[in-house]
This record gives sequence, structure tokens and C-alpha cells, in this order.
Amino acid sequence: MRLLVVEDDRDLNRQLVKALGQAGYAVDSAFDGEEAQFLGETEPYDAVILDLGLPKLDGVSVLEAWRLAGRKMPVLVLTARDGWSDKVKSFDAGADDYVTKPFHIEEILARLRALVRRATGHASSDLVCGPIRVDTRAGRVLVHNEPIRLTSHEYRLMSYLMHHIGRIISRTELVEHLYDQDFDRDSNTIEVFVGRLRKKLGVDVIKTIRGLGYLIEPPPSS
Amino acid sequence: MKKSYFPFSRISIGVRLVVVAMLSSLIILVGAAFVLSEIYRRAAERAFDERLHVYIQSVAANIASKNTANAFDPYGLGDPRFTLPLSGWYWQIRIEGSAPQNIFSSLSLFGGRLPRLEDLHVPSHDGSSREGYIIGPDERRLRLVERALELPDGARYLVQIAGNADEIEQTIQNFKTALWTAFALLACVLGVTTIFQTRFGLLPLSRLSNQISSIRRGLSDRVEGEFPDDIAPVAGELNLLIESNRDILERARTQVGNLAHALKTPLSVILNEATGQETPLADKVREQADIMRDQVNWHLERARAAARAGAIGVTTDIEPALAGLQRTFLKIYSERALSIELNCSPDLKFRGEKRDFDDMIGNLVDNAAKWARHQINIDALGIPVIDGRNFLEVIVSDDGPGLPSEKRKDVMRRGQRLDETVPGSGLGLAIVADLASLYGGSLTLEDSEQGGLRAVLRLPSL
Repeated sequence: MRLLVVEDDRDLNRQLVKALGQAGYAVDSAFDGEEAQFLGETEPYDAVILDLGLPKLDGVSVLEAWRLAGRKMPVLVLTARDGWSDKVKSFDAGADDYVTKPFHIEEILARLRALVRRATGHASSDLVCGPIRVDTRAGRVLVHNEPIRLTSHEYRLMSYLMHHIGRIISRTELVEHLYDQDFDRDSNTIEVFVGRLRKKLGVDVIKTIRGLGYLIEPPPSS
Repeated sequence: MKKSYFPFSRISIGVRLVVVAMLSSLIILVGAAFVLSEIYRRAAERAFDERLHVYIQSVAANIASKNTANAFDPYGLGDPRFTLPLSGWYWQIRIEGSAPQNIFSSLSLFGGRLPRLEDLHVPSHDGSSREGYIIGPDERRLRLVERALELPDGARYLVQIAGNADEIEQTIQNFKTALWTAFALLACVLGVTTIFQTRFGLLPLSRLSNQISSIRRGLSDRVEGEFPDDIAPVAGELNLLIESNRDILERARTQVGNLAHALKTPLSVILNEATGQETPLADKVREQADIMRDQVNWHLERARAAARAGAIGVTTDIEPALAGLQRTFLKIYSERALSIELNCSPDLKFRGEKRDFDDMIGNLVDNAAKWARHQINIDALGIPVIDGRNFLEVIVSDDGPGLPSEKRKDVMRRGQRLDETVPGSGLGLAIVADLASLYGGSLTLEDSEQGGLRAVLRLPSL
């Protein structure tokens, strides 16, 4: 899952990027409205954390510009202005959730999980497919109820595939959603990751569809 | 307001002007009528006396030429009224000094006698003639003129002529009737002009007062139009006052907003820096940062509310505001299958800022949403006038567990969080109650029909 954090306060931006990275997200950051608008319109983010009080272009305008351009990613608005008028304005501009400063980072993580889950059509924070369960709250993967040790990149890959169960995911899409923009992207590394992941899971759930990409098929029962 | 002990202080300027103008013109008119009547009475008497003196002159001339009263021709005056018995017109000649007294008199006197004015102590203005009223032999009021004559031979006469005083009274009466009729008409005309003049004169003032009241009701935001030179400065000052009031509020609000932003971002940084560390210092920082957050929220909310509630002439259409909040809540609670039903009477206007309305309703619905099982109802309606002021009510009810009546007072007090497991600062309802009372409204909590809580928010409306 790849996120964009838009926050003009450098300390807060750094803290958010760090905490979200630890929680298993690939994170890009922007420090002003114009940069945010550009990144949001060109990069395929799975969710955005958007501060409203931004230099150059305010958050609500950025959000409206994204929605006008047809960008549908879930947006979590972050602001010091906690009046209900501001909330109504943000939601009408296309926000999906709203957190007022000061906040606990856990609250942001929980809201983000819910947003991503809702956007991909899942009802529970546990993503299950046969013997495999991804606990998005704890950031763990279990096979037959046994937790397995994954690197953060492997977890990100697993979580992305499980969020999009039943859909063929191309290699390019994986690269776009698993790495932040500063990462040296090479789609060949994806193959290496998928291979390692298959070995660690020990169950054959990730199918390769030649020429198209990868697929986790939903179990026939569900 | 300071109580005035001056009993007329509440009487309108228009009534004052009209009453004072009418009273003074009434006094002047009545006074003038009396003075004119008196002058006319004197003139009428003098004219009458002159007529009588003409008769005296002719009698005197007669006596002087004949040099004897005996030779006096009683019919020489040539007026038949002196011969008709008790006609009210009489003459009488006394020959003074002779005893017994020789008295000649007109036939009309019918043997009666006219008294001497000198005996009645009527003063004389030239020493020989006197004028005055007497009661005649026929019980009628008479005007009597007498003159003492002394011929060169030493014979002295007193010549008296009396005329019917009713004739004088009649002319005076006619004059008075005409005078009072004319003055009554004049008073009416003056009254009408006074009222018209007052109305016309006070027109700009009543226009100004209408404008002020429409500003207060939020129908306009400044005093418009031209005013006469004497009150144009008042209108100008009023506009400046309204503008500066608005400016001050705007500045206060911006500063409060800036302060909020400036404080909350560093607070977030401190909180996050302490997160994930299990040292006593980190715990203390987290705990204190949380307290600071609540304090900052509370005081900013208060400052913001105080800055806003003084705004003059601001109104909010509540239907679109409620619809916006409904959209927002449906989005926030999209996962909970919560039904939020909105019933709003059309064209209701809250007399206050939209931000405050949003905050009050937002907090109420937010609180209801925390407890509701499936259903929240928002009803907005106008209510009958209370003490001459219009109010509207917004009722937010839910189907949650409700709140026992003994706890209802507590939630409206600051810092009460009834259930720590439900997120929220716990200030919600206290802020609503606070804001409502700043606007002269109120918040009451009751049982709802669905078993939950029913919050009735009463606010001033247009």
C-alpha cells in the first residue's frame, strides 16, 4: 500500500512518514499544496493524509482538484481547525475521514486501515484466504494460525495482493503501489519477492498469470 | 438598562411634539379669544354710550335755548321708543336744588324714576358725565348715561338717558360666536398641520430606526440611503461602528484560528515523539499533552464563541446547514448502517453564525451517533413567540440507551466524559449548552420516543 502524506510542518511530516513506514506502508511526502496536487494527480496512491492548512494552495482546493481530475483514492483530512463547518466543507470537497490535531498516531493508523479496507471492499480488518490470514491491525501474516516472519517489503506485497483478492495485479501496478517515489524501481525485483514470499508461506496461493501478473484466487467456498 | 424615574421618558418624540404644540396653541387661542372679546365689549359700550350722549346733547341744547325745563319738549327727541311704556329707552331731567324736586321724564318711564349714578358711586371721567349699568323699573338691565348741566343763570340740571343694555349684549354675543367658531376652525387646522409637520419632520428618524431594526434582524448589513444633514452623521457613525464590530470579530476569529493551528501542530509533534517509548518521561509527556489538548480545545472554543456571539445582524439558513451536516455524518458513519433522518420546516433562519450552528448541531449529532443503534432523527421547527422574540428548535433524538435524568446535568458541565471507551473529548454537550446560552437559547435533554436521548436545542430565529 502506498500513501501520500501532505503536511507542511517538517517534524510532523517526518513522524508520520516514519510511523506509517513502520506500519508497512510505502510513503511519499509533500510539504505544500502545489506539490501535493501534482503528486496526487500523477501517482497511484492507495490513500492520502492531507493537512488543510498548507502553503501555496490550501488543502480543500487540493482535494477538490483531485476529485475534479477523477482521482478516487481515500483521503484522510488532518487539521487543527476542528469546527463542524470545516468538517462539512472537507467532506463536501471529497474527504473520506477527518482527524483533528493533536492526534495519537494510532488513531491515524486505525482510520487509514479502515479507509483502505473500505476502498477495496473488505468488511473486516482480517483478510482471509484459505489457510492464510493477514491481520492488518497487527501487521502480521498467519498460515494455519501460525505467524510467519516477513520483511516489510514482503508484508506490503502480501497485504496488497490480499486486499485485491480475485484480481490480476500486474507487475507495474505492484511496483507503483509497493515503493515510494524515491525507491529505485526495477520490476525484476518483484519476481524475486514473490518467489521468497511463496517459499515462506509454504502454501501455493499466489498464481502467476503469464504475461499479465499475479493473482490470489478466492477460495471457492467464500 | 437603567430605570428612569422621569415618568414621560418613554413617550415618543412624535407624541411629545404634537402634545406640546397643541397645548400651547390652545392656550394662545383661548387667551386671544378672551382678550379680543374684552376689547370688543369696550368698543361696543363706547359706541352705545356715544349714541346716548347724542341724545343728551340734544336735550342739553334744548334746555339751554329755552332756558327753562318747563319749556322742554318731551317729544323733541324724535324717537318713538321714548314714548312707548317700558320700552327700555328712557330720559329723565332733574332740576337740582329745587324742593320738592322737579323731575321730568319720558312717557316710556311710566311714572318710574331713574336712579342717580352719582349716588351709586360710579366715577366720572370728566367731572360732569357718567356712564354705567342699572336695573330699570321693568327689571331690565339698562345702560345709563347722565350729565350735569349748569346754565349761566345758575340753574342746575341732571340729564339722564337710558338705553336697553340687551342691545350691547346682543352685539357682543354675535361677535363672540363668530370669534369662537373661527378660532375652533383655526385650532383644527393647526392640529392637522402639527401632526403632518411632526410626521414629516420625524420621517428620517423612523427610517433610521427601521434600518437599524432590519440590520439587527439580519436583513441588511449597513444603513443605506440619504439622511438629512442633522442625522446623517449618526447614520455614518452607525455604519462605521457595525464595520468595526465586524472587523474586530473577524480579526479575533482569525487570531484564534491561527493560535489553534500554531498550538496544535507542535502538540501533535510532542505526542508522536513520545509514542512508542515506554519510559516514565514519555508517559508523563503523553499524559500532559493530552491534558493540554483538552485545555486548548476548551479555551479556544470559548474564545471563539465569545468572539462570535456579539456579531450584529448575521443569520444562517438552517436547512442547507442541516443537510450538509447530514451528508457529513452519513459519510463518517458509512460503515455503521446508521439512518439519519432530517425534517426541517422551510425558510427557518438562525440569528447567528453558521459556524456556531454547525458546531452545536454537529456536536449533538456526533453525541447521538456515538450511542445510537440504527436511527437518529433531526427535526427543526419554529416555535411560538416567547416574550416577543422568535425561536426555533432543533431536536436531535437517537434510539440508543438514553441517559438517566440524574446524569443529564453532569454532561452539560465541562470535562465530563461519561464513557471513556467512546472516543471524543467529552466537551461536546457542554460546548453546545455554552454556545446556546451565549445566543440566549438553551439546551435541554429528555427521553426520546425510541428510548434514547432527545436533545432539544432552542435558538433565536428570525
